[in-house]
Amino acid sequence: MMNKNAINSWPAVTARLSTRAVPAFAVLIVALALTACAGHQGPALVAKSVSVTAAMPGRRMQAAYLELENTTRDNIRITHVTSPDFGAVEIHETTTIDGIARMRPLEALDVPPRGSVRLERGGKHLMLMNPVGAPESVTLEFHAGENLMLRIVAPVSSP
Amino acid sequence: MFMVGITVGAWYFNKPDAPSAEPRRATVLPVPNEMPAFTALTHGGEVVDASTFEGQWDLVFFGFTHCPDICPLTLKLLSDVRTELAAAGAEPLPRIVLVSVDPERDTPEALGEYIRHFGEDNLGITGELGEIRKLTDALGIYFEKVAVAEDTYTVDHSTVVLAVDPDGRLRALFSTPHKVEDMVNDLPIVMAQQ
Repeated sequence: MMNKNAINSWPAVTARLSTRAVPAFAVLIVALALTACAGHQGPALVAKSVSVTAAMPGRRMQAAYLELENTTRDNIRITHVTSPDFGAVEIHETTTIDGIARMRPLEALDVPPRGSVRLERGGKHLMLMNPVGAPESVTLEFHAGENLMLRIVAPVSSP
Repeated sequence: MFMVGITVGAWYFNKPDAPSAEPRRATVLPVPNEMPAFTALTHGGEVVDASTFEGQWDLVFFGFTHCPDICPLTLKLLSDVRTELAAAGAEPLPRIVLVSVDPERDTPEALGEYIRHFGEDNLGITGELGEIRKLTDALGIYFEKVAVAEDTYTVDHSTVVLAVDPDGRLRALFSTPHKVEDMVNDLPIVMAQQ
């Protein structure tokens, strides 16, 4: 069970992670709401290899890729992702079967117990729409129902 | 004599650094196909037809500018292929062509801004849906508009990359998964075939 009150019970944790697209940059990760079950120590959800693409010329959408790691013994279902830097954030999945690419929104993203899920090019990804200005770094907030599970701040790289 | 033949054969097939005369990934058509007739617009707004494929090698991809994932990924890959071919001294370099499967949203202006991001020599083609269909249907390219929300849609589409020769004939195709190294290996082979 998620502990809603746990959101502020763990001190904010920062970590520096190199991104694939911009290895010279560091990604500032601020993890919140970090316990998934009673007695669990440390962040429940950890983001790795974060990459946020810049908007293509004339387009008002970007994509974000990362790996989410669940450190708990319970499945974590990310129901939605928000960002103060975008009008909307959707979880999408691109599949290419028999040479046909299809992109569909996902209702949720399950991160298995003690496991991880990868959001990568040509697969699951976050679609960031209607940017507020032209942010050089973006904040992404991952929610499990009413619980804010993770907040990350990542630089924008090339598309 | 028989043993000599075996020995020579074994040497031939096992010799180190044997040049690959066969493409790794490309499917080369046994008989090149003329590109189908159509009339559309370039990203510069000029009228364009099948003759645009004459005069240079083209790598033709079908996508759309609202595609945030596969299309920029593929166009970046094709751009990287061109860069690596140029670094290897390959000549001539193929042109990259994006045919929009979302002409409703992809105006010439929008397409131009998008395609130029991947190289100034690139060509974008858009226009009336029926004319784009003439091109795609004849080439076996699939695309379909799909609603994903009340006021939003995406387009399912083929991911194949076509290689069209300077006579405007479809010579080969590259199916997914696309890899830079495969195309860099295969394109000079395809382009050298008469």
